[in-house]
Amino acid sequence: MSNMTETRTLTYSAAMGHAIAEEMRRDERVFMMGQMAAGGGQFAAERGLSDEFGTERVRNTTINEAFMAGCTAGAAIAGMKPIVNMGFGDFALIAGDEIYQKLAKWRYMHGGKFTLSAVVIMPFGSMGGAGPEHSSSLEVLGMHFPGLKVVIPSTPADAKGLLKTAIRDPNPVLFHSINTLSFMRGEVPVSDEFVIPFGQAAVRRSGTTTSMITYGSMVQPCLDVAAKLAAEGIDLEVIDLRTLVPLDWDTVLRSVRKTHRAMIVHEAVRTAGAGAEIAARIQEEAFFDLECPVFRVAGKDTIRPQTARLEAMCIPSVDEIEQAVRQQLAT
Amino acid sequence: MTTATTPTGAEHAAMYYRMALARNIDIVMARHTREQRFDGWWHPGEGQEAAPIGATAALRKDDYLFYQGRGSAWAIGKGMAPGAILGDLLGKVSGSTGGKGAGVPHWSDPELGIMGEGATLGSVFHVAAGAALAARLRGSGQVAIANFGDGTAARGTFHETMVQAAAWKLPLIYFCENNGLIVSMRLSEVSPTENIADYAAGYGIPGVIVDGQDTDAVHRATAEAVARARAGDGPTLIEAKVVRRRGHWEGDPQQYRKDDDADIAGYRDPLEVLAARLDASQREELDARAAREVQEAYEAAQAAPVADADIIWKDIYA
Repeated sequence: MSNMTETRTLTYSAAMGHAIAEEMRRDERVFMMGQMAAGGGQFAAERGLSDEFGTERVRNTTINEAFMAGCTAGAAIAGMKPIVNMGFGDFALIAGDEIYQKLAKWRYMHGGKFTLSAVVIMPFGSMGGAGPEHSSSLEVLGMHFPGLKVVIPSTPADAKGLLKTAIRDPNPVLFHSINTLSFMRGEVPVSDEFVIPFGQAAVRRSGTTTSMITYGSMVQPCLDVAAKLAAEGIDLEVIDLRTLVPLDWDTVLRSVRKTHRAMIVHEAVRTAGAGAEIAARIQEEAFFDLECPVFRVAGKDTIRPQTARLEAMCIPSVDEIEQAVRQQLAT
Repeated sequence: MTTATTPTGAEHAAMYYRMALARNIDIVMARHTREQRFDGWWHPGEGQEAAPIGATAALRKDDYLFYQGRGSAWAIGKGMAPGAILGDLLGKVSGSTGGKGAGVPHWSDPELGIMGEGATLGSVFHVAAGAALAARLRGSGQVAIANFGDGTAARGTFHETMVQAAAWKLPLIYFCENNGLIVSMRLSEVSPTENIADYAAGYGIPGVIVDGQDTDAVHRATAEAVARARAGDGPTLIEAKVVRRRGHWEGDPQQYRKDDDADIAGYRDPLEVLAARLDASQREELDARAAREVQEAYEAAQAAPVADADIIWKDIYA
């Protein structure tokens, strides 16, 4: 086994591909399905997999999302460990019954007789002109259906380590890969035993002024704001949640008790987004530690337009996050 | 009884006994619903027993069953004890789901290949296909049955699944119980075809219509489909023409049906059809034994405890 400190530079997508390949070598129950999966996948995560494992274990489906997710549930019920790539997270809505009922509830409603170990890859979010039906941020749906776990990695290393954990987990895991990060490069541990436990947030930047609680596509914008404001003595703490189910409340609350300010930043629409739950929980458990209201910076409560220039206006920008930090400090 | 196409005398007796168990479960559930409050909906299977019992008799123990929610004969046919079935229906810890199930059943026992039910109707086609794919990837030779009613053949999942399952030649059997009724509607009011099996042609797979009142006919058709699936030749769609004797749910006054409706007027009791192949004393003994076994199971389920409140937090995650 290679040691944990050895790394190589990989894209986010390639890191996912490494995770899948390593787990397929490790466990013959693991297999992969998706539209174009055998051709490398829409965002290249599956590149090369069918060459190594063949088209029985890396299977192309046709355009049939309900089938893809239902078949995933059935294979898991029968003891396999399927991975399905929905192509775009939005398409999970076509398979709503299969993901949010069958995968989430089968074990429970059948008295715990079955274990559904499965990964549903749901490529996430706006990517510049993909249009209103290919750009949704649906992570909150997974939080609303007990029985599912929800993962949303922000770096290539996390993409590998969290995907490996997802594949090994005995439960159905919704894995929101970030489309705009597909070709982001980063250092990724080479070891095939590199796994990242669920429910452990990463403190990406330690600070004392404000707790920036974020995940996925908004981690880097928050770090950019933190770098910019550091010169003024505004010292942001940036927490990357990495998994929303389970959610690392300890790290969130510890940080808020230290900084006394909480700001939640996510790409999903503001209303009833994950930020609403996080804000509610912070005020329930740390109200008297707060110096000011909990703020949210989130995607606008509108539909993502097809036109990329307009779409960009709907997603929190570095400027908007910076303004929100200043505004909160002034309250 | 895995591949034989003509059941023997002993197999006839075994199938008759299982039908009688399922019939008696309907009888005690009707009585229970009438006399006591029932926390669920019981969808009685009376009149449809031959289809599940004939079909399951052609399966291996480890073949995968995904069933629809009418009657108990699929679970009985796969070997589940009446006590586990009635325990679930009454919400007791003695049920196969340990007290969570009541009414619309989610009986399950992986050891018997009883893999469960999806209660959003028409939602086990692809789930069964997934189990069939698992069998294929493991090379285990198992087949999976997706059992459904005529109404749910209209679901998109029916089509999505069969396109892929036929293309992949999965060891999958679509088994339709066509009773011509969708809750309180006639299939003929809403379906472009009289036969669900007609759809098979579009997928390039066999579509077989069988007399669903006759265990032997169902057994023969299922055994052929199973052999085809195990040989790697892909799915079959079997349509058993059956008759729903009672309401959609127990207590349904069925004002939408008349005694001279063709299905009611032409009804042949599947137990009588098979009884003609048994001798009278044997039948009497099987009837008495089945009634006794179900009554004892019902009394045991009545006496069994309900689950503790903390069960609502159990088995959300593995």
